[in-house]
Amino acid sequence: MENLVTKAKTSVPKSLRGYDPPPPGARRHSHITNSKLRIRLDKQAVQSARAQAMVKDAEMLASNEAGKFETEGQMERTWRISQDEIIKVIGAEAAKGRKEMVLEGGPYRVRYTRNGRHMAIVGQTGHVATFDWQTGTMHSEIQLRETCRDVTFLQDQSMYAVAQKKYVFMYDRDGVELHRLKSHLEPTRLEFLPFHWLLASVGLTGFLKYQDTSTGQIVAEHRTKLGACHTLAQNPHSAVLYLGHANGTVTLWTPNMSEPIVRLLTHLGPVNSVSIDSSSCGRYIATAGADGTVKVWDCRNWKGAVREWSSRGGAAQVEWSQRGLLAVASGGTINVHSRPSIYELFTTHVQPPLYLTHPIPHRPLVSLRFCPYQDILTVGHTLGLSSILVPGAGEPNFDSTEADPFEIRRTRREREVKGLLDKAILQIQPDMIVLDPDFIGSLAPQPKTDASSSSSVPFARLPRLARLQTSGKADETELDVDEDDSGSERDSEDAEQKTSLRREEEKKRMRGRNKSVKRYLRKQRKNVIDPKAIAIREKLRKDREARKQARDAANGSAPTAKYKPSVLDRFKRSA
Amino acid sequence: MVVRRLLNLPSKFLTAVQKISVLQHAISTHLPSRTGDPMPVQRNLDPIMHPFARARERTRALNAAKMERMFAKPFIAALEGHIDAVETLARRPESVTDVASGSWDGEIVLHNIARRVQVMKIPSAHKGKLSGLCWADESRLLSCGVDKSVKMWDIRRPVDTSSSEAGPSELKPSAVFPGKTPFNGVAHHWSDPVFATASNVVQIWDENKNSPVMDITFSTSAESVTSIRFNPSESSILASIGSDRTFTLYDIRTGRAERRIVMKMTSNDLSWSPTFPTSILLASEDHNLYTFDIRKLSQPSQIYKAHVAAVMSCDWSPTGTEFVSGGWDRTVRIWKEGKGTHPEVYHTKRMQRVLSTAFTADARFVLSGSDDGNVRIWKANASEKLGVVTARERAAIEYRDSLKERWKMDQEIGKVQRSRHIPKPVYKAAQLKRTMLEAQRVKEERRRKHTRAGESKPTAERKKVVLSEQT
Repeated sequence: MENLVTKAKTSVPKSLRGYDPPPPGARRHSHITNSKLRIRLDKQAVQSARAQAMVKDAEMLASNEAGKFETEGQMERTWRISQDEIIKVIGAEAAKGRKEMVLEGGPYRVRYTRNGRHMAIVGQTGHVATFDWQTGTMHSEIQLRETCRDVTFLQDQSMYAVAQKKYVFMYDRDGVELHRLKSHLEPTRLEFLPFHWLLASVGLTGFLKYQDTSTGQIVAEHRTKLGACHTLAQNPHSAVLYLGHANGTVTLWTPNMSEPIVRLLTHLGPVNSVSIDSSSCGRYIATAGADGTVKVWDCRNWKGAVREWSSRGGAAQVEWSQRGLLAVASGGTINVHSRPSIYELFTTHVQPPLYLTHPIPHRPLVSLRFCPYQDILTVGHTLGLSSILVPGAGEPNFDSTEADPFEIRRTRREREVKGLLDKAILQIQPDMIVLDPDFIGSLAPQPKTDASSSSSVPFARLPRLARLQTSGKADETELDVDEDDSGSERDSEDAEQKTSLRREEEKKRMRGRNKSVKRYLRKQRKNVIDPKAIAIREKLRKDREARKQARDAANGSAPTAKYKPSVLDRFKRSA
Repeated sequence: MVVRRLLNLPSKFLTAVQKISVLQHAISTHLPSRTGDPMPVQRNLDPIMHPFARARERTRALNAAKMERMFAKPFIAALEGHIDAVETLARRPESVTDVASGSWDGEIVLHNIARRVQVMKIPSAHKGKLSGLCWADESRLLSCGVDKSVKMWDIRRPVDTSSSEAGPSELKPSAVFPGKTPFNGVAHHWSDPVFATASNVVQIWDENKNSPVMDITFSTSAESVTSIRFNPSESSILASIGSDRTFTLYDIRTGRAERRIVMKMTSNDLSWSPTFPTSILLASEDHNLYTFDIRKLSQPSQIYKAHVAAVMSCDWSPTGTEFVSGGWDRTVRIWKEGKGTHPEVYHTKRMQRVLSTAFTADARFVLSGSDDGNVRIWKANASEKLGVVTARERAAIEYRDSLKERWKMDQEIGKVQRSRHIPKPVYKAAQLKRTMLEAQRVKEERRRKHTRAGESKPTAERKKVVLSEQT
C-alpha cells in the first residue's frame, strides 16, 4: 500500500547514496564460480540482511505496551479482581470501555469492524444498530420487525449485512437497504472474508454460500449435508471457514472444494461455538458444545483435544482475543483464560487457571466479541450488551496500512480502492484459500523423476539441475541451506531434524559385512559411472556368489538350476 | 500511546499491590496536527498483523505486470522526408535531438526529433545510393555513396529550402574526396581529422588531402568491405565486416589488418560498445546478433536470438547496457546486454524492412529507418511515462518495478511480462524456424544415438559461429 505511505520516497541514485557497508550477517557465496550469479546472490543476501536489521529497528519503534494485569505476590490471583476494582485503578478515560447497554428485543449479537472502531448490534426481534462506539455517534438504527440472526460489517463500516428471517440483506452506513441476497436462504450466521471480498453464510438449509460482494457473483455453494447450522467462524489467516454442526462435528471449508477439507468430531451433541486463535495464526481452535464441555484443539494434528474441561451452566460461547486470551461465556459468567496454560497438554479435565472472571446474570449469553486493538470484551445477552475490561486482550500496536482505528474519510476511501485492486479480477483467488496460505510464492517441489531413471532423455534435454548433477557440478551446499532458510522457524526445525535423521541413518546402518565398502558405494552418486565403483560392485557381486555357492555346498543342495549343459562338456576332464 | 497509570492503592480486598493498565490510544498522536497534514502512519511488522501478505503482494505484482503491458505504447512519431529506403542514421555528437539520415536515393535529411521537424535537407547529395553517413564533428557531416565519392558537408551554412521558389538552392559540399570504387561505408576518427572508408579495400583518408593516405587489406581478402567503425576508446583500432563473411580488426598505427575471423554467415552491421572498449556487436545475416570480446575472437561472448530474418542494423545505447537492432522481418528489437532472448519487440503495420537503427544520446528513445522511407521514434522503455512525473508517482513506479522483478518467476506474472503481440507473418516465421531447428536437433540426436559412443559430440552453439581465426 505504497500510497498510504504519506511521504513518497523514491530511490536515490547510486552515485549519491554513499557507501553503506554490508551488515555482518550477510551470507557470502564465494564457492560459486560464475561471477554474475555470485554477485547477484551476494547482493540479495546483503539486501535481506539489511531488511532483517531494519525489521529489528521497526520492532523498537512499536513502543506501545499491551495492557497489564498482574498481582504482586504469589498468593494473589488476578481473577479475584473485579471490574469495579479495575475501573477504580485505571482512571476515568479508560473506564469508558466498561459499559452496560440495556436494550429490549434481545438476545443481542454484536460485531466489530476490523479496526475496532465501529460496532454493529442486532437483536433477535429485529433491532439493528451500527455506531462508532468511541465517540458515541450512531450511524444507523433500524427496526426490521422480523427475526434477525446475525450481523456483519463488510469491508468497513460503510456497509453491513444482516441475516434476517428469510434472506440476507445488505444495508449501507445510514441503514438504507442496498440488496436482498435471495440466494442465501434462512441464514443463521454470516462471515465476511475481507481480503477476498466474500460474504459467507450458513443457514437452516445447511448450505454454505460464498458471495463476492464486489461483483455480486455467487462464488460457491456447498451442501454440508449435516442439517441446519448455527455456528460459523473464519480463520483470518487462511480464510478457511469453520462450521459447527448439530451432530457434534466441526467441518472446515474452502470455496474451491465441495467437500470439507477437515471433518472433526468434537462433541457429543451439537457444537455451540467455534473460535480460532489468531495470535497463533490459527494453530489452535476452541470449540464449545451443548454437552457442556469446552475443548482446545491443535490444528497441526487433529488427534484429540489438547485440553478439555466442562463449563458450568451448560452450553458455552468461546472467543479468542488478539493476544491469545480465551474467553468462555457459560451460564451466567464469563471466564477468561490466559495463554500458555490453554495450550498445554493436560489429561485431566480441569479448567485451566482463570485470568479474569465476571458474572452476568442475564442468560443466555449468546455472543462474545473482543474489540480489536482494545482491552474490551463485549457480551450480547437477553438484556442487551455488556462490555467488560480485559487488560492485555488487545494488540497495542496497530498497523495503519492494514486497519487504522483513527482513519479519516480519505484514508478509508483509499483503503477500499486499494483493497479492491489487491483482490483484482482473479481476486486473491477463492481457489487460493487453502490451509496454508504461504504456499504462494514458495518453491515448487522437486519433480519425482530423477535423472538416472530417465535414461532415454539425452543429456542436452535434461533440466539444468539434472545436467549439473550428472556432471557432478551441482551445488549441493546451496540446496541444504535453502531448505533451512525457507519457511517459518518451525519448518526449519523440522527440516533440520529430518536432515539430521537422514545423516543418523547413514551412520547407523552398518549391519552385515564389508561395511566400509558398502557405505562408500552408497555415498557414490548412482548416476555417475566411476570405474572404481564399478570394480567394487563387481567384486561384491562375485563375493556374494561365492558365498552362496559355499552355502549351497554346505547344505548339500547342488545349484542344479544354474547348471547349463554345453557341447564342450565332453572335453571336460573328469575330476 | 498507552497511558499507563500505576497506582498503588491499598485495597480492602487485596493486601498486595496490583499492577493494572488498560490499552488506551491517545487520539492526538494519531490524527494530523493541522488540517492538510498527512495522516501519521504507525507500522507493526509482525506477520500476524498482515494476513495474506504474500498473496496480496502477488496480486499487486500481477496488476503491475498487466499495467506495464497496458501502458506499453512505444511508438511516438514517424518522421517523413525520404522517398526511398533509409539506409543509415547518424546521431549528431554533442546533441540530444539531432539525427542525420541518408537514403537510397542519395538524400540526406537532418531531423530534430524533439520538435519532430526537418532541420535541413540535401536532396541529391550522391548519385545513386547513399551508403554511409557519419559526423566529423558537431557541424560537419561525411557521406559516401556508390557514386565513388565521399563528401563533407558543413551544416553551419544554412540553406533556406522554403523561401527559394526557383528550385531548391542546394547546399554544396565543403569537400569532395573522389575514389576509384563505390563506397560501402565511412567512419570518422573520434578525435583526429582522419576518416576511413570501406569499399573493396579499407582506406584511410586525411581530411585535408584529396587521396587516401593508406590502403589496408587483409592479405588474402578479395571481397568487398561492407561497413567500418572506429573504436571510441582505443581510437586507432578499426573494425570492419566484409561480404566474404569476415570480421576484421585493423590498427591504423601499424597500417595492418591485425586479426580476422571468418564466420558462418556474413554480418550486416557492427557497433562498438560505448562502455566496454573490447566489446563489439555484430548483426548477422543468420538472424542472430553476436557480441564478441576482441581479445578472444574464437567464439562470441553472447548470442542474441529472436529475429526471424536477417538483422540489418544494430546500435548500442549510450549506457552500454542495452542495444537496438532492426531486421529484415520488419521489427525493431531492444536487447539487454548479456540476455540473449526475449527482447522488447516493436512493429507497426506500415513499417517495412528496418535498415537502420539508432539510440538517442539520452538512451530514452530509439530511432528506426526503414524501407518505406520513414524514420520512426520509439520509446526505449515501452511503458515509460513521458512528461513530468511527481515524486509520489515515481515512488509508485519504483514499487511496481521492484514487485515485477521480485515475482518474475511466478508462472502467470512471468507470462504476462514476457508475452508480446507480434504480427502474424513474424509469428508464423518464428514458428516455422522453431520447427526446423527442432527437427534438426532431433535428427542430430538420432544420428548420435546410432553412432559409436563418444564419436559425435554435440557442439556448443557458440562454437559453431566462427569458422576460422586468422592473424
